[in-house]
Amino acid sequence: MTDYTFPSAPLQKGVLSDLATTLRETRLLWGPQAGTDGVCRILPLSEDQWPTLALTTLLPLKKLLLPPREELWNYNAGDFSPLPTAEPFAVLGVPLCDLQAAWYLDQVFADDEVYKARRARSFLVGMPCEPGKNCHCDGNLMPLAGDLFIGQERVWALSPAGHAMLQACACNLSENLPLSWPEEIAARRHAVTEKVFHASAESTIWSEEAQHCLSCGACSAVCPTCYCFDMLDDAVLDGSVTRSRAWDNCFFAEHGKIAGGHDFRSGRISRLRFRMEHKQLGFGPLRGQNSCVGCGRCREACPVDIDLDRIAERLSEEARP
Amino acid sequence: MSDALQPVPAVIARIVPMVADNHIFSFLPGTPLAMTPGQFVEVSIPGVGSFPVSSCDLVHAGLVASCIRKAGRVTEALYRLGEGDVVGLRGPFGNGFPMEAFAGQDALLIAGGLGMAPLRGVLQALLAERQRKGRIILLYGSREPGSLLFFDELVELSRQGLITLRFSVDFAETLPGPYDRVLCKIGLVSELLDDLDLAPRRTVAAVCGPPALYRCVLEELSLMGIPAARIYATLERRMRCGIGECCHCVAGGRFICRDGPVFTLEQLRKMAGAI
Repeated sequence: MTDYTFPSAPLQKGVLSDLATTLRETRLLWGPQAGTDGVCRILPLSEDQWPTLALTTLLPLKKLLLPPREELWNYNAGDFSPLPTAEPFAVLGVPLCDLQAAWYLDQVFADDEVYKARRARSFLVGMPCEPGKNCHCDGNLMPLAGDLFIGQERVWALSPAGHAMLQACACNLSENLPLSWPEEIAARRHAVTEKVFHASAESTIWSEEAQHCLSCGACSAVCPTCYCFDMLDDAVLDGSVTRSRAWDNCFFAEHGKIAGGHDFRSGRISRLRFRMEHKQLGFGPLRGQNSCVGCGRCREACPVDIDLDRIAERLSEEARP
Repeated sequence: MSDALQPVPAVIARIVPMVADNHIFSFLPGTPLAMTPGQFVEVSIPGVGSFPVSSCDLVHAGLVASCIRKAGRVTEALYRLGEGDVVGLRGPFGNGFPMEAFAGQDALLIAGGLGMAPLRGVLQALLAERQRKGRIILLYGSREPGSLLFFDELVELSRQGLITLRFSVDFAETLPGPYDRVLCKIGLVSELLDDLDLAPRRTVAAVCGPPALYRCVLEELSLMGIPAARIYATLERRMRCGIGECCHCVAGGRFICRDGPVFTLEQLRKMAGAI
């Protein structure tokens, strides 16, 4: 069981406006905003905007923690110089599933100085959500990251920084209380085990599912815990070059290919299996940690209704004696 | 940990052409890099890109030497550079071959194609052990005689009795000389194992080559009686970061760049799809 008990206090009058003022003084504020085009995005908030609910944005929180394109260094006349770190920022209205995803990214990039520098300048504020039809979050999946959680009537300090922020706003944290998760959703989840996954190597379920795949990569792009990246160079006429890391995608044809043309993951079946393995079983030190936080974005985004959860259910069923 | 994504400038100190489209580039990094055989660096050519490459020698006088094939966009750009030009180096990354495992044992090195390059680093490390006990056997297969790397050097080592050497080539109209103590077969490198005089229980194997080589050779070595925990192979993959983050190199659930690229057959058997 993951413990989501944190120091908490009733949300007294004035605390929110104090918080807003304090945060705005030092940081750029971001939050979820539903656009007139029907798309919900994390965008900079204007002076009078303060969300009270978390929304499932099209792109998750990772777009600010691991930007789609992030400059790493600049080359000029024989020297490689690191680039300045981002300005401090805060993100409001983050759903619990995305706070879990932030914890997961923190583990993946635990030794990454560029990620850590950006992360150290972030301040994450969770808020309650209204689960959608594609949601299948799990309050026992993994710990969560973040600094504050602001509910309708209470506030929680999730980190020392959050704690200090509340104290600065004269909010005394009186007792430890658990955060509450959306109910009866986790029961709908399905995931493969190591055994089921490996036994399924020759299963026709993979070809049945993969034959519809367009290799568009939308599922990975919107996934809060997908983090593959490539390295790209921008050259300027004066001879200087900037190298960035940019989101990559395991459904793209080049992903497993080496110079000379050999492809270690040719075809959509092996790529779909790769994504499934990454999401539900994990890579490297995080093997054994299911990283699907159940936000439902991939289900929503897939143009041909491929659903890892359904594939896991089918494979598990097929493996049953 | 310092920033592993930040390269250090390195001067191309020397370029030695080997066979067609294979040159040895010696890089002199601004900050010295300590590398063991089997580890790799990421070479950056600003404005073009980067690629991972292992060293083919021990680090001498701060020089990192790599045998690099002109195989893609970035290596083509490297071939347009000359001595004195600057590239970026990141690393070293990966585990490398555990050289202590070879101590007091017979060393069996099996190379396919450009796989000779990292094994040449292993060979140099073995030869550098002054009091070395145990034989060094090198089986090296390549496409045709003209593509055998380090040919003269290897033949000379064989002539001095320092290594037991056998070549194989996929096809050839005439076999390369000299033939004394050097056997060259037309066929697969795995065929060189057939009548090899080997003491499997005191042999440690290191294998490097294309994927097809691993599929036929590794289990055969095990069948010959070499323990699976003492059969080492180094895997090639697309690698962009070198530090177990970007996910391109993952096989069998493991980051080849960080957990490897050198694995034992015992480990590889548990890594579905790795070989």
